[in-house]
Amino acid sequence: MIITQKKDRKELLENVKGYRSFFLLGCSECATLCGTGGQEQLDELKGLLEGEGRAVAGAFVAKTGCQVLGTKVELKKFKEELGKADCIIVMSCGAGTQSAVEMFEDKAVYPANDSMFLGNMTRLQMFDERCSLCGECILDKTGGICPVTTCPKGILNGPCGGTKDGHCEVSAEIPCAWVRIYERMEKTGRLEEFKAGTLAAKDWSASVKPRKLTAREEKKK
Amino acid sequence: MSFQEALNSGKFVVTAEVGPPKGTDIAALHHDIDILKDKVDALNVTDNQSAVMRICSLAICRIVLEHNAEPILQMTCRDRNRIGLQSDLLGADVLGIRNVLCMTGDHVLAGDHKGAKPVYDLESVQLLTAVDSLNNGRDMAGNGLKGGTHFFQGGVVTPEANPLAPQLAKFEKKIRAGAKFFQTQAIYDIDKFKEFMTFARRFPVKVLAGFVILKSAGMANFLNKNVPGIRVPEDLINELKAAGKEKALETGMDIAARHIRRLRDENICDGIHIMAIGMEDKVPVIMRKAGLL
Repeated sequence: MIITQKKDRKELLENVKGYRSFFLLGCSECATLCGTGGQEQLDELKGLLEGEGRAVAGAFVAKTGCQVLGTKVELKKFKEELGKADCIIVMSCGAGTQSAVEMFEDKAVYPANDSMFLGNMTRLQMFDERCSLCGECILDKTGGICPVTTCPKGILNGPCGGTKDGHCEVSAEIPCAWVRIYERMEKTGRLEEFKAGTLAAKDWSASVKPRKLTAREEKKK
Repeated sequence: MSFQEALNSGKFVVTAEVGPPKGTDIAALHHDIDILKDKVDALNVTDNQSAVMRICSLAICRIVLEHNAEPILQMTCRDRNRIGLQSDLLGADVLGIRNVLCMTGDHVLAGDHKGAKPVYDLESVQLLTAVDSLNNGRDMAGNGLKGGTHFFQGGVVTPEANPLAPQLAKFEKKIRAGAKFFQTQAIYDIDKFKEFMTFARRFPVKVLAGFVILKSAGMANFLNKNVPGIRVPEDLINELKAAGKEKALETGMDIAARHIRRLRDENICDGIHIMAIGMEDKVPVIMRKAGLL
């Protein structure tokens, strides 16, 4: 999921100081799990804005904020509230914010959160980054552990000299990705593959931004 | 005799290093090069060491050449992508630089520009592959070059890495990628190093043992605590402690000389890489003590 963090509320209030009436838009997926865009956080921000003497015309937790069409349909029933608001604050990720920008061409849209990374939830509201969406997956060659993401240097062929007792020179909190890969490949009987293979430099053209994908097959006329 | 020739001659080779300064005043650097140049076989020039921004290694390598000394261009992958690295390698070649030491490089978080974007488009193994390709007249994309490079390329290895097995696997990858020589992270436990060399001797590469001059027990403790891959054994720390403040540096130099003699006399490795880190004037002293001058 997309991991988000609340922007500093002072900064947020400063960003939207020129507006009088707001509509708050959350998301029931990632942002709810992150505790940044669920009903509770919407209520909290509503209270904060009202405490500052600003009006909150409406608030809604969309099912999936990055799904533009679906969110548009869901918001139809808030036509009146949205009409009253001169600013929409989106409490999901950067994708959700930009769904709103697409839907509301002539209305100010502001983000309430910072979007951090694609994360795995390890425990409630604890997240790890394991995949960086590089566009050219090499997990098949690295025992299923991604060094592009979990090694701060993105090294592709084994540990650097900065490994200290199996941990990373960047932080003792980070287990060395290449020690993990080595141990996993050893356990799964793939050590020879580890030793024999040298990975060539990655093809970064697979992640030239902005990326676009049409996965559906066009219906033949 | 070039560095490569020296290694191939079978003599016990000595390299030292100079760190480019932060700023354009290179008076002290000229001085250090002059102290070292007739004593050692080659001089490493570090590449923004510890990720602290300084004069580039390439420019200082050229200055080393102008002193009639032989530079080893240290090249890390932290600050340049494959276009920048290959371009600098071509530039190094036309400036007459013949030795290159390929490393991944300390992370920017270790340095003085922590907000910098770390590059790591390549890493050490891939950089070695790139050097090999340039030597053979082609760039990494397979394009032909109008004139290839002439590098004698090497890598680094950490014999004290914990765990060691993944490090050794990478050492082999570097050899397959074209590394001809290795300079190791500082080693202080010769018996353990001998075990590493038993492994390394299976490959057609030259190995220079790294050594950082110890000036006090405090420094040894600092290295143990803060530098991954360095382990100063307790008995050496006690030896430095027993020497007292006044004599600690002298003892550190004696330890260096003793180690060098043993590495050479027992033919454990092919040479020594002395990292003086600000005490360049002590390198000839150690070499004399070790019977190398």
